[in-house]
Amino acid sequence: MSDAPASPCGGGGGGSHESGEHSPRSNFREQDRFLPIANISRIMKKALPPNGKIAKDAKETVQECVSEFISFVTSEASDKCQREKRKTINGDDLLWAMTTLGFEEYIDPLKVYLAAYREGDSKGSAKGGDASAKRDVYQSPNGQVAHQGSFSQGVNYTNS
Amino acid sequence: MQTVYLKEHEGNAHNFVGTLSSAASAPWWSAFGSQSVHQGESCGQVKPFSLELPNCIDQLAATKPLARGADQVLGKGHITQFTIFPDDCKMSDDAQKLQTTMSLQSSLTDPQSRFEIGFSLPTICAKYPYTDQFYGLFSAYAPQISGRIMLPLNMTSDDEPIYVNAKQYHGIIRRRQSRAKAVLDHKLTKRRKPYMHESRHLHAMRRPRGCGGRFLNTKNSVDGNGKIGNEVHKTVGEQLQSSGSQSSEFLQSEVGTFNSSKETNGSSPNISGSEVTSMYSRGGLDSFSLNHLGSAVHSFADMIDGGRGMIIPTKWVAAAGNCCNLKV
Repeated sequence: MSDAPASPCGGGGGGSHESGEHSPRSNFREQDRFLPIANISRIMKKALPPNGKIAKDAKETVQECVSEFISFVTSEASDKCQREKRKTINGDDLLWAMTTLGFEEYIDPLKVYLAAYREGDSKGSAKGGDASAKRDVYQSPNGQVAHQGSFSQGVNYTNS
Repeated sequence: MQTVYLKEHEGNAHNFVGTLSSAASAPWWSAFGSQSVHQGESCGQVKPFSLELPNCIDQLAATKPLARGADQVLGKGHITQFTIFPDDCKMSDDAQKLQTTMSLQSSLTDPQSRFEIGFSLPTICAKYPYTDQFYGLFSAYAPQISGRIMLPLNMTSDDEPIYVNAKQYHGIIRRRQSRAKAVLDHKLTKRRKPYMHESRHLHAMRRPRGCGGRFLNTKNSVDGNGKIGNEVHKTVGEQLQSSGSQSSEFLQSEVGTFNSSKETNGSSPNISGSEVTSMYSRGGLDSFSLNHLGSAVHSFADMIDGGRGMIIPTKWVAAAGNCCNLKV
């Protein structure tokens, strides 16, 4: 279930890098498995003092950990959607999945993020086509599941 | 006798929390009161070590479904060892007196280790009957308590048992199966690719570099401005793409390792905005102090925010202007 929605997004990402692509399958798979390491580095750097530095293997380790965590929570939410005969995972499903997996303490801050993201989404729609185009392009490299990407974007929106 | 009782109470205080402690302690207290005569009589006798070990083994064999619970108790702290000696006397008095069975020792998975534990700390064996009572009480009062579940041994790389959160057990099993399936289907390689595109990598390797290994861009400051002007007219998506690439290059160049340099080279061609970033990084290294580097990071963050803001061209130009000013 988690693999099927990832293919179109991965294909989109591959399409954006179409020119000069040497081995399509490897690039496709690596981009599909992990979040972009630049975004992860930026988030990690926010927790450091101004003169701090992060080793490359530390970034890669955190990249693998956060990517696996996203798949872990998403597969739990996906199981719930399958039981209820639904096809779309929304933010509430992810919150339920985190509660089920024992991460209750994160629910309150995540609800704040989700509300802020939804508010930003409505404002973005009011702005017009450029905003929606921007959001689509931004989600494409991130997402294994569309709503998962939007949720991550919501977090970035609040942080920035 | 009184001292032993106090120790056991201390153990209870450490093991139980809140309502569970009050719920669990009452039946234990009543049971203890009802057995006071036998308790005193049994504890008064002096027993050899060899008798205690078989009794514990008998209890372990009798309570086969709770073997996992016993293992969990073994994993707990050292305080538990001092709280269950009276229970040992009581259980030995109730169940089987003076019964010795050597065959049960061979049935254990690790008789050598068990035998050594029995001799070095005889009270450790007394944990099993108390554990039996303990888990009986828990099953009566809190059947849904969340604890730890052991993963199947065939799923772990070595033979050590791994205990995971009970809530996450099914999720972990599902994810392990998904990863195994992905490995079989796609034959994923563990090694990471140093760059994404061969042609970009080759182009970056041909570019001239300075003494520190950075690209030479000082002569293209005016051209950089022109390219910024061109950047404004590109589509929103390409601007976002450029923003991501610049961020990647900036962060990679700060680390300064060879692999980071490679990835920076891989991402730099075909995107004119990244050259501005490269020039900026070089300038920062040459002439700015540590505080300026901090402000540079902040300025770069502004650039990224500009890339994602609603009024994209204005913020973009403003951020680029800040970059040039700081460079000067």
